[in-house]
Amino acid sequence: MADQTLPIGGSLDITPERSERQTLLEWLQAWVVTVDHKRLGILYVVYSIFFLLVAGAEALCIRIQLMIPNNHFVSPETYNELFTMHGTTMVFLVGMPILFGFGNYLVPLMIGARDMAFPRLNAFSFWLTAFGGLLLYYSFIGGFGLYGMGAAPDVGWFAYAPLTTKPFSVGHATDYWALALIVSGFGTLGTAINIIATTLSMRCKGMTLLRMPLFVWLMLVVSALTLITITPLTAAQVMLLIDRYLGGHFFDAQAGGSAIIWIHFFWIFGHPEVYVLVLPVFGVASEIIPVFSRKAIFGYPAMVAASAGIAFVSLGVWAHHMFTVGMTSVGNTFFVLSTMLVGIPTGIKIFNWLATIWGGKVQFRVPMMFCVAFLFQFLIAGLTGIMLSVAPWDWQLHNSYFVIAHFHYVLVGAIIFNIFAAIYYWFPKVTGKMLSETLGKWHFWLFFIGFHMTFDTMHFVGLLGMPRSIYTYEANRGWNHLNMIVSIGAFIQGIAVLVFAFNMMHSLRKGKEAGNDPWDAWTLEWSTPSPPPEYNFATDPEVYSRRPLWDIKHPDDPDWKYE
Amino acid sequence: MAQTETHKSEPVHGDRIHLPAPTHWPIILAFGCTMAAAGLVTSLWVSVFGAVLMLTGCVGWFRQVLPHESHEDVPVVVQTVTITSTRRLVERLKIAPEHRAHLPLETYPVLSGIKGGIAGGIAMIFPALIYGLIVQHSIWYPVNLLGGAGVANWSHVTTAQIASFHWSWLVIAIVIHGVTCLLVGLLYGAMLPMLPRHPVILGGVLGPLLWTGLLHSTMGIINPTLDARIQWGWFVVSQVIFGVVAGLVVAREGKIRTGGRLPFVARMGIEAPGLMESNLEAGPPRAQQPRNEEKH
Repeated sequence: MADQTLPIGGSLDITPERSERQTLLEWLQAWVVTVDHKRLGILYVVYSIFFLLVAGAEALCIRIQLMIPNNHFVSPETYNELFTMHGTTMVFLVGMPILFGFGNYLVPLMIGARDMAFPRLNAFSFWLTAFGGLLLYYSFIGGFGLYGMGAAPDVGWFAYAPLTTKPFSVGHATDYWALALIVSGFGTLGTAINIIATTLSMRCKGMTLLRMPLFVWLMLVVSALTLITITPLTAAQVMLLIDRYLGGHFFDAQAGGSAIIWIHFFWIFGHPEVYVLVLPVFGVASEIIPVFSRKAIFGYPAMVAASAGIAFVSLGVWAHHMFTVGMTSVGNTFFVLSTMLVGIPTGIKIFNWLATIWGGKVQFRVPMMFCVAFLFQFLIAGLTGIMLSVAPWDWQLHNSYFVIAHFHYVLVGAIIFNIFAAIYYWFPKVTGKMLSETLGKWHFWLFFIGFHMTFDTMHFVGLLGMPRSIYTYEANRGWNHLNMIVSIGAFIQGIAVLVFAFNMMHSLRKGKEAGNDPWDAWTLEWSTPSPPPEYNFATDPEVYSRRPLWDIKHPDDPDWKYE
Repeated sequence: MAQTETHKSEPVHGDRIHLPAPTHWPIILAFGCTMAAAGLVTSLWVSVFGAVLMLTGCVGWFRQVLPHESHEDVPVVVQTVTITSTRRLVERLKIAPEHRAHLPLETYPVLSGIKGGIAGGIAMIFPALIYGLIVQHSIWYPVNLLGGAGVANWSHVTTAQIASFHWSWLVIAIVIHGVTCLLVGLLYGAMLPMLPRHPVILGGVLGPLLWTGLLHSTMGIINPTLDARIQWGWFVVSQVIFGVVAGLVVAREGKIRTGGRLPFVARMGIEAPGLMESNLEAGPPRAQQPRNEEKH
């Protein structure tokens, strides 16, 4: 039997004081001035979901345009803006903010802290990120570009030089892109610093580094990686602004600069950025899969080491985006091999997730369904990644839809699927309400079918030679039917997202009460009421193993006996 | 047995908890920064406005944290909450005898793999040279063939050129041969103790045959020029000689115990006394049994 020496003590017995009814203005003001990590986490997630809908609408416009040959649904100029803004939005205004939102909300709860190390910096970081996004989208109204007023950036999300130089990008559209990302980039840096400081210095008693939940580990690794990778991008964007405003020649080859330097700078940021996005969702999977397999995670230390390994290796692979630029044999060989090396720690993770599921009593609830789909899809994404890491293969397919299919398999098949898994899993903790399981399954299956219709087919369009970023195509290329299937799949995904949005709104009002621990889970956040009180824990928790709630629920067979 | 536990005597806490006070200065500073940047693409006055907001935001923020951080007191309300599991049974996964779930407790030292690689690498030179002398009438032919594989511009080369001596190709061949032999030797050192029965035969004969098969089926795609010039029968002979010699050298070395039972940090060579001690302090002495898997 448990007694008062239970590891996480009185923190379990505290619920928040019911707040008095507020006016709308008071309610809004409370959100604007908040420094509470949970509220800021929610703000990050809501902000990202809003931009997810915006970027999704842009993607649908792109797919309508490409649905049939010789189509003119949008003008070529608008099309360029659409794919530029879709890519930029998904990476900078959806992917990173939503994952840092989860980190903000969950890291202090998981390590038994009352807040982040720097609560005010946390608020400042969020608002910088938010205003950066708004500045980017203000370009649709205030940007003056090649085609006059109301010109959004149209240089692609990687904004290669010399397209971004003044002669080719007149007006301010490109400046909006650079300035907005510099502003939101500083917000991201602030959050990364905060997560590192919180993780290293605010863990509760007994929470050694090797007892931290894997999600916390992954956020720590990602935050360190963010500090390293955002800085080259910011530096390059400042150099770009110097070129454009002060007559610099960093990227002007005719004046002694180098357009190639921009590509290096961008991908030194850009490739690790993929891991900045994917590593947190590895953490999500590492929390959800064990709970719904009813087993402890397999190979915890190897998972930690593999995460750090992926982050390290990811810093040395950027030029695999540049095989067609023309490098030396030695350069090509190095980046081929270093890229392939990523497969080792990633493979360790996939095997460990499978080993966790193996022999478990698997419950296919909605979060688990998204995670299982993620495992399958991420494996495919990894395999096409290995194919593209081979320089001669890349020479054939670079800038084709095969590449688009590959990275959407990562960004959607792995990241978005796991983000949905995370929302279904932690929504009850955040709101106190369960999301509808039935609507969740509709969401999953529609999204799953739509995803595979779109991105499986897109591989074949790419193999048949369709280049990325083209406005339209001739009917005799053999791409017609495939593009139609890709676009239909995109619309099915859109319907799935609408089902998800409806589920969120409906469940928020009429959802089943969640209780503090609806999944019978094992990490500290489930020991607090749902939603948790402002102070998280009334007394500092104390843990003895990686699964503190397991120890309480099974005092005869606690984990610390084996760790 | 699972427990439904009501927590009756929680550790002491106060009636109120100090938390950082809500503040509007971060949003003002962030808005100021954004406006200052936006001025570059709108108007200088927007930047000036942003700079004023930034200054105001900084001053307000500093006044809130200096000399002491501003806090608010949040009242604590106590309510009994239970932590329970409906899954009361804990089942341990059983490993059937037919499952091969063991890792070697003993293995060969890394040095034995390196020695095996060096010995095998030297041994396989002879069949290669014999092939060169008998079939191509030049000992440099196999050397240049290997060296040529390492340089990208090796094409349209004649048999006479391959049969003649080239310093650069010799150096490249030595580097490729040396590195490959050492790596494969290390692989032998790691793999041999895990191979069931007759490890030298498996590692020395079957392994090279599989490796040759893999290369034979893919070399035409990877490097067609090289593929056209390789005599696969001789190739197999040299690979098998490498495998047998390397395997024998490794197998003759004494085995050492693996660190499989040591904690991960110790195996990584990290001195982490805090971590190790905290593990030990966490509870009673650890059970001397393998980690159980739970199933409810």
